[in-house]
Amino acid sequence: MPPIEPAPEKLTFAYVHRPGLWKIMFTNLGMGIITLTVWHFWGKTNVRRHIWSCIHINDEPLEYTGLGGDLFRGFILVFAIFILPLLLLTAGLGFYLGPQHPAISGLNFLFAVAGYLLGGFALYKARNYQLSRTNWRGIRGNMAGSAGLYSLTYFGSILAKWFSFGWATPVMNVVMSEQMIGDMRFGDSAFKFKGRAGPLYPTYALCWFLTLFVVIGGGILFAYEIAQWFGSGFEEAFKHVFKTEGDTKPNSSELQLVGFFIVGVMGLVLSYVLIIPALWAIYSAKEMRTLANYTRFDGAQFKLNATAANVIWLAVGNLLIIVLAVAVAIGLTIGAITLSIWMEVDKNFAVAVLTAIFVLIVYQGVWALSRPIIIQRNIAFVFKRLTLDGAVDLNRIRQSIAARPTRGEGLADAFDLGAW
Amino acid sequence: MVVSATYFDGESARNRSVDVSEDGTNLTFSGTDTPYTSWSIKGLHAIDAPTTGQPYRLTHEDKSGARLIIRDDAFIKNLVSRSSHLKGGYSGRDIAHIFGWTIGGLVAVAAFGYVAMVLLPDKVAHILPETWRNRVGSQMETAMAEGAKLCHSPAGDAALSAMITNLALGQPDLPAISVHIYDIPVLNAFAVSGGKIIMTREILAKADGPDEIAGVLAHEIGHVAHRHPEAQLVRLTGMQVLGSVFTGSNGGDMTTNIAFMATVLKFTREAEAEADAYARDTLVKSSIDPMGLKRFFEKINKLEGGGGDKSSAFSKLGGIFSTHPGTEDRMKLIEPLPAGVVAKPSLTNEQWLALKDICKG
Repeated sequence: MPPIEPAPEKLTFAYVHRPGLWKIMFTNLGMGIITLTVWHFWGKTNVRRHIWSCIHINDEPLEYTGLGGDLFRGFILVFAIFILPLLLLTAGLGFYLGPQHPAISGLNFLFAVAGYLLGGFALYKARNYQLSRTNWRGIRGNMAGSAGLYSLTYFGSILAKWFSFGWATPVMNVVMSEQMIGDMRFGDSAFKFKGRAGPLYPTYALCWFLTLFVVIGGGILFAYEIAQWFGSGFEEAFKHVFKTEGDTKPNSSELQLVGFFIVGVMGLVLSYVLIIPALWAIYSAKEMRTLANYTRFDGAQFKLNATAANVIWLAVGNLLIIVLAVAVAIGLTIGAITLSIWMEVDKNFAVAVLTAIFVLIVYQGVWALSRPIIIQRNIAFVFKRLTLDGAVDLNRIRQSIAARPTRGEGLADAFDLGAW
Repeated sequence: MVVSATYFDGESARNRSVDVSEDGTNLTFSGTDTPYTSWSIKGLHAIDAPTTGQPYRLTHEDKSGARLIIRDDAFIKNLVSRSSHLKGGYSGRDIAHIFGWTIGGLVAVAAFGYVAMVLLPDKVAHILPETWRNRVGSQMETAMAEGAKLCHSPAGDAALSAMITNLALGQPDLPAISVHIYDIPVLNAFAVSGGKIIMTREILAKADGPDEIAGVLAHEIGHVAHRHPEAQLVRLTGMQVLGSVFTGSNGGDMTTNIAFMATVLKFTREAEAEADAYARDTLVKSSIDPMGLKRFFEKINKLEGGGGDKSSAFSKLGGIFSTHPGTEDRMKLIEPLPAGVVAKPSLTNEQWLALKDICKG
């Protein structure tokens, strides 16, 4: 009797934490110091291997098969064919024409343009590398299209967004996703992406006008406050408090006035820094949901259950992690410098060297210990909220026959685009 | 012990149920749509470390695309306890590879660093064509002057030329230089590419006699003679390449920052010592009292908070980052003219007053 063909399956996604990330992070920290940061490529790979293994689809974890050596070779290649010649060319021209020659500014402009053109290329290639190193049920992914074509779309979208004051963003993001997601393969099966940008526009317009309102409103409020203050001897108070003129001691009401002013300015800056990103979280969430909806695999439709509040919480959490890490780093640095001064650092070269090494370690540590957590949070965010409506006939899916790239992400790293 | 597991053959995504057993040497499995397969335990590779409650994934060197997923904790524990290579993580060979790459990479970087920062700068500095050196120097001078007024007065200019002539008396192979004084209220003097020496109004104001300025000028001419500014530019290029190796990116826009970096970093301790030696030699040969330079150093020392005032912690800290060798150490090396040599004034009193007032012209 032939085996019964299993029916198409419904797929469920989950992010299942497993122990080991802290061990990886501390290993990365230690190795980063020992190898003067060269370990970075292997460290990144270890973090990915861990995080991938926490992403479960139908209880089957993903597997990351990339190697640190792939990333290292990618970097060496990009360095040799791109960064080094560029540096030597600008330096050589700097010596020949002088550093302030207009031709050098022209060259830098060309490099910037080339950088934007290559940005899309780098992102596409990085996606291809990551997919080719991602296995599920023994099957790997790949990108089936052209990185060159994507880089043109990417460049065009930068220009379009720029010239339209942002209004091209929904259209361009849909177009870019269509290319990027539409080219994605799992084994021999394609992801499909189809949809219009129209439904994104009401939310985009809302965020755009609210931002405009906040910026203009804040500006007017600020101008009004200043006008009020200047009428009430603010200028004098400012001069007294900051001793820009003469030696007059400020009285308590002057101190209060200047204090209010500083708090007001800080409040304004903070509200810009917090309110505007929070506003845009509404659009981000809408775009994420919409793009997920437009994506299909084997006829099944993705859904991402993410609200603006979710996105804000994610961003706030990530921000707090960074703030905490940086605060600890600054505290340790101040401590180390105080200690080194107490140990008469100016007379003792060894103390200076040890302090410098300690500070370097601290800053290595900030990254080694905060970045993986943030990446994990971002990925867990998606996989806890992602669902797939419909069943997938997994038995039909055959292994990808696309060649696996042998190097990875050098270019994306060079442009700091290696998001994961 | 026979347990059920899942097998993926690496060719399709089909989920195959299999029964697995092991005898210490081989791991065997089969299922309704999976033929009997035997994998040597020695050739097995664990995808990740075994974790209780998590699927344990194995592959085999003969079929690297295939995956066998076992979920029975007791079976996994038993298997792993006898085969340490199945604990996951890096094998000895992996670690050797990584260290090989890392050490190789660091050696390559160190070798490049040595060539670019130590060997090459001096050599390149001496073969740079005259026109290039001048062009770079003029642009750096413009950038550093930041639009400040170039000080001029007929008498002041003549005094400056006289001072250079006096210095050249004992040092006939004095390099070609141009000295410009800018109306800048910051105490500074520096040499840039192409023999251009820049001094500020403040340095003239702080000097109490022409010999002090002659000393400073001799020091800057020392930089020019040794081509230190040119060498420093080459070194900065090397530094930028090294920096980009470690940051994995293009280390920023070199050309626009070069003037800034050159001012900040000035020269290395070695270069300062060389310029000092040149200054001492020139002053003695030209019979100009080197004590002028010493007095000027004493002033800088006081301004830097040295000489007893250790109250400010941050002025102490500044010393670490200073590229000039300790002013006190430098002062010790300056000796008076040899006995019997009569000091010649570097400028007449009249010339000195004209030079001091050059920015008022």
